Amino acid sequence: MALSCLTRALRSLTLSKPALLSSQAPVAQLKLGTLVSSTISQCRGFLTTASLKQNRTYWKQRDKYTTRPMGMKKTGGRDHTGRIRTRGIGGGHKQKYRWVDFQRLRYEPNKEGQPFEEKVVEVRYDPCRSADIALIAGGNRKRWIIATEKMQAGDIIKTSGVIGRMAVSANEGDAYPLGALPVGTLVNNLEVQPGKGSQYIRAAGTSGVLLRKVNGTAIVQLPSKQQVQVSETCIVTVGRVSNIDHNKRIIGKAGRNRWLGIRPSSGLWKRKGGWAGRKIKPLPPMKSFINLPLISTI
Amino acid sequence: MIPKATVSLFSPNIFLNASKLSAHGAPSPQTRRNLRVSHCLAAKVPPPKKPREKVEIPGLEMVTYGDRMHYVPGLAKPVYPPWEMSFKDPRYYRSPPAQEMTLYKDKPCYVFNQRTSILEGVRQAAWLTKTQVNPGLLPHLISLAANPENQLPDQDERVQNAIKHARFWDTTEPRPRKEKYSNTLLLNLLHLCASLQPTHPAVGRRILAENYSLAATWKRGEDLFQIRGQNGLLHCSMDPLPQICGEQEVLETSDRVLESFYPVSPTIDLQQVSVYKEEMNYTGFRGEYPYPHAHTLYFLETSDPNCQLRPEQFRAKMIMFTFGNALARAHKLYGTQPHSLLECPITVQAVGTNGRIFQFLVFQLNTTDLSGDDGIKNQAWLDEDVELYDFAKVRPFIKRKEVKVPAGLAGYKPETFSKFLALYLHGAA
Repeated sequence: MALSCLTRALRSLTLSKPALLSSQAPVAQLKLGTLVSSTISQCRGFLTTASLKQNRTYWKQRDKYTTRPMGMKKTGGRDHTGRIRTRGIGGGHKQKYRWVDFQRLRYEPNKEGQPFEEKVVEVRYDPCRSADIALIAGGNRKRWIIATEKMQAGDIIKTSGVIGRMAVSANEGDAYPLGALPVGTLVNNLEVQPGKGSQYIRAAGTSGVLLRKVNGTAIVQLPSKQQVQVSETCIVTVGRVSNIDHNKRIIGKAGRNRWLGIRPSSGLWKRKGGWAGRKIKPLPPMKSFINLPLISTI
Repeated sequence: MIPKATVSLFSPNIFLNASKLSAHGAPSPQTRRNLRVSHCLAAKVPPPKKPREKVEIPGLEMVTYGDRMHYVPGLAKPVYPPWEMSFKDPRYYRSPPAQEMTLYKDKPCYVFNQRTSILEGVRQAAWLTKTQVNPGLLPHLISLAANPENQLPDQDERVQNAIKHARFWDTTEPRPRKEKYSNTLLLNLLHLCASLQPTHPAVGRRILAENYSLAATWKRGEDLFQIRGQNGLLHCSMDPLPQICGEQEVLETSDRVLESFYPVSPTIDLQQVSVYKEEMNYTGFRGEYPYPHAHTLYFLETSDPNCQLRPEQFRAKMIMFTFGNALARAHKLYGTQPHSLLECPITVQAVGTNGRIFQFLVFQLNTTDLSGDDGIKNQAWLDEDVELYDFAKVRPFIKRKEVKVPAGLAGYKPETFSKFLALYLHGAA
């Protein structure tokens, strides 16, 4: 493919005039003679579309969910144009990607609206994230989720979208809307927009606290102690994310970081800036993910 | 970078503007292609482009470069109807969408094939086939091989030689691979058993069949299930196997309750198909085949890394295919209408092996009325994880300068082969 493309490109270049330098043009015309005028109208230029497509890695663009691990291609921190987008990435052990379903309240077809239970089949390491992942099976499907601290194979976990009048007593690993949980619960896998899928509190060993519920919204304290205000219909998982000893592991040597695909920093001496000292700052203001109606519309 | 690279490779006078050219002469926002490498340099996919809005003004004809046959800036790209071949070329055949196929049904069918790995293993297979699974083989079956008339002369030595042949002497390589030695061992053992033919003439009324394809359909609850696929080495015979247990015990099975596995549906991991044949029952052989009765199925672990099964799933596959053989035979004999109690239950045996560990299964199909959970159930006797020998080492296993396991065959267990022989002689002795 590449060879045919190259020959075609060469042919097009020798025949098309603007590709030649002005000083070389008479020489080329001498060589080609009268052939140029007859063939130039039928030349189709570069045809690189097929070869550009052939090695694209569309491994993540899938229509149907699968629990099978997918082979990944390393980007080395490069974006789609080939430029470095993120510094310090490259090499490392080959990893496979397991598609985690972050939308915990995903009903099976024809079973919308009712709480459902699932069984934990397996809890295992995932190379793509710091937390462990769990394979859960329920009804006619299987999926990966982020495991919580005490999740074990054989556990039954519940997922519900119902906000009752009374707060539920939730077991670890269950998923409920924030409005259904009692104040003070430890939560993880926080959604910030209902139905979007969890985005916050997914790293190993982290947990947030449900601080209070104010007319249709809930205020959650993130692991960074920042407080966010989200709708009370956002789904969270109860408990703490698994792999709590993640921050206590010992890397041991520089080479182990390379196994993880992290490259060393540049080595150039840089003077420490203002970030280096300790300063006690006030907490940032609460972040609200609620689309409040504008004052002008009321 | 790209112009520089090409300049160094080719003559400079031609390639100076190479980067400005792109597909069809038009400047394209795609990644620039470096022609020195066979792949693109970016492993990431660009974000999907927004499709350009096409403005259609009624009554206005678009001026395209179609009649000029080449790209002209400023003129619109011509739109042609998709080309259809006037002739038939099987290489470029495109199947119609599933909804337009003649066999399309609205109700899906759950298909089990030889690559299916069902999550719950034997429990799920038992639910799907409405079977009551008992651990261990029946004693009167095992006692067949205890009779000295039914034993081979020098039995233990010959079996050990068969194992050594499969594990050590079969190949010129240092050690044969698993898929090779398990197959050789199975054929060796079958060959040993077949040498009993002079004293047991009924052994000669059997034949081995490979690569037969099986199809069986049944209804369980509301759902339709099918077993399809090519699997196992089938030992079929002219005479049917006698039924294993009496009618009294068959009737007692209606009191037993099938094990359930609540949050998981029994149809998990089965393939959902919407294009299928209803009433598909086929034993794999034509009507006048002289060996119509399936006697024993021999399963080997597959070497395909994409569909390797764990032991529990392997046993489940054995149950499913044994059941499928019996059911296809029953449908042929008694018709596809469900019978709550077959007059003469159909017995099929199965042996699975990975070259060391054996699984023995005897299945008795009592009923073809599988819709409800109550009533008479089928029966299966499953003997799990029976080892034929402990170690067969080409080189000794040495740990801390101490020989833990010597080279050669160690820990041969004669009772495993006697079970194998008993299943083989069932119906002949």
